[in-house]
Amino acid sequence: MLWLYLHFPHLLLDHVRRSQKLDQALVIVDAVGQHVLQACPEARDLGIQPGMRLKTALGLSPELHLLQSDSRQEASLLEEQARWLYHYAAHISLSPPDGLWAEVSSLQRLYGGLSAVWQTVEQALNDRQLTAWAALGQTPRGARLLARAGKGECTADKGHLQRALESLPLTALELDATTHKRLQRLGLVRLGDVWALPPAELARRLSPELLASLQKIQGTRPDPLPAWQPPPRFRQRADFVQEVEHTQGLLFALQRILAELEDDLCWRQQDTDTLLLVLEHRHEENTRLRIRTTGPEHRADQFLKLIRLKLDQQPLRAPVTGLVLAVKRFTGREAPVSQDLLGDNQDLNEAWHTLISRLQARLGEQAMAQLSPQADHRPEFAWSASQVTQNPARHGIALDTLPRRPLWLLRKPTPLADTPVAWFGGPERISAGWWDGRRVHRDYYVARLPEGQLAWVFRDNQDAWYLHGWFG
Amino acid sequence: MSEQLSTLLQDARIWQGHRQSRAHQPAEPTGYQTLDNQLGGLGWPRGALSECLLEHCGIGELHLVLPLMQRVAAQGRMVFWLNPPHTPYAPALAREGLDLDKVVVIHTDDPGDFLWTLENCLRSPVTGLVMAWPGRLASRDIRRLQLAAEAGDNVCVLFRERRFAEQNSPAALRLELVPGEHQDLKVNIVKRRGSWPGQRCTLAMHHRADLALEEAPRVVRGPWPNAAR
Repeated sequence: MLWLYLHFPHLLLDHVRRSQKLDQALVIVDAVGQHVLQACPEARDLGIQPGMRLKTALGLSPELHLLQSDSRQEASLLEEQARWLYHYAAHISLSPPDGLWAEVSSLQRLYGGLSAVWQTVEQALNDRQLTAWAALGQTPRGARLLARAGKGECTADKGHLQRALESLPLTALELDATTHKRLQRLGLVRLGDVWALPPAELARRLSPELLASLQKIQGTRPDPLPAWQPPPRFRQRADFVQEVEHTQGLLFALQRILAELEDDLCWRQQDTDTLLLVLEHRHEENTRLRIRTTGPEHRADQFLKLIRLKLDQQPLRAPVTGLVLAVKRFTGREAPVSQDLLGDNQDLNEAWHTLISRLQARLGEQAMAQLSPQADHRPEFAWSASQVTQNPARHGIALDTLPRRPLWLLRKPTPLADTPVAWFGGPERISAGWWDGRRVHRDYYVARLPEGQLAWVFRDNQDAWYLHGWFG
Repeated sequence: MSEQLSTLLQDARIWQGHRQSRAHQPAEPTGYQTLDNQLGGLGWPRGALSECLLEHCGIGELHLVLPLMQRVAAQGRMVFWLNPPHTPYAPALAREGLDLDKVVVIHTDDPGDFLWTLENCLRSPVTGLVMAWPGRLASRDIRRLQLAAEAGDNVCVLFRERRFAEQNSPAALRLELVPGEHQDLKVNIVKRRGSWPGQRCTLAMHHRADLALEEAPRVVRGPWPNAAR
């Protein structure tokens, strides 16, 4: 078995820096706010080192951006990385807080050699603007030690890996202080020195646990790793150190996330029609936006257009400190069905979805309607408006049985103001609705009004005259 | 050179005062032979704006567009109604054989949204016909719409008030609609591309309320005297 270990030395820092261009140096401080954990290159140029006290760091650069590390956030970030790594490798295991294992011996044939696997992963890291130290090892723990020491090399040669491990200093083992001191007093400085000791003596003199961990590194004791399974949803977040006040700043971060979503959807061979965008504010409730497309979609630029429209419509309530893009609903991707040889239909279908999605994003879903007749005698209930869909449900009303009606119906019957000059059809009595409390009892006539319009008027049972439609 | 010149001269946008040229512009027949004749055998221009100028609803203005609506929907293209003043009545439209799946009614609140929506509809290849009731429009906005219409290949009919007939407009076809005596519709061509305007015709529209052609108005006396309010 050959394992690849990716060690992310400053994952949180990378995560923040790729969603926003900062004009000041940035450091990550520990949860209690005492020490600097990670420092960006600009900060390191100012002389700030990881492990430095925060006060000292602020003394060096008062303008410093600070971000407190948060173990939950780190865990979810690590999952995000596992998610894309899963596109390349099947057996993945997490090593919280900052590492990932992937089993690569089975991938060599697929990718055509170890160096191809290595390059693929490096390329993926580059695309995501992440820093990671990678290393290969015969055992998971061996790979981890080499990666954390920065000694990773693209080789599967057993002897070479063994020698690299043997030359690691004892500190790389991250033992507890007493064990480390005892080993040091014995005059052992390298991992190879400890390995050279007889195992029985090591267990008796030091501790059985130490022996176990050494054997796991060596590979003489089994070290099974749980396989990580990707969650069935997509969720990515971006955090902003400088609060974002303009939509443009959000779009920059969204572009990357949407590209990632497109990748993910392509890999799943699925589409989606609903995105959930949550904008986090410092002092106010989160803004939750639902972005809907009319049809299944997976392309990042289409999503981005819709989000841009939505954000144009809905100005930011407050500066944004973070955003989350989540997709929970996936639909199967259908193979393009082209009904004619020239494939025109596909384009039109596509254009239809684009147009309707755009209109809905800007105007809201209530602004658009499709009409259908309903089986009811009362004119105001004989039609209904429904949401726009490409293939609406059939109304199932025989068209030849429909009575003559005007093309315009007034939203509400209005009292008749002018005396008609001529009368044509009528009366047509409509008496219905006694069953649902909206009783209608009317005599309808077709009349010509003084200005020459043909109107549909009725008299109700109180002898009042109303106008209800125009023969347009 | 002369060849280029003659192709230019055949273009409908070049006016030749002395003769009515056979206009070479894409158009959709209106479905009314009389009106088509008056329009030089063409009809509603495609890729350009048309305006219908009328005083009141209910004079047969929808029936004027109905043949086009039916044809466009049957071809599988969309018919958009943008800000109609009343509810387009679905049972009546269905009875006319219009495929309601292809009809979308849109309401916009502010003028910016109206223009944006109209432009988007006009530019989309799925659109066959857009009918819009714009209300007040600046001439700059009409020009913007005309450009959007040129980008697409569909018919756009704006329904505007009759008083705008006096103002000029970049629309390619402008029709003034006036109700006639016998429930018919008088159409005055205020402007058309490539030829002189001023033609008039009368279209029979009595079928819109199922009236017989020569039906004399029956004066219904009974319910009336004390009820006219």
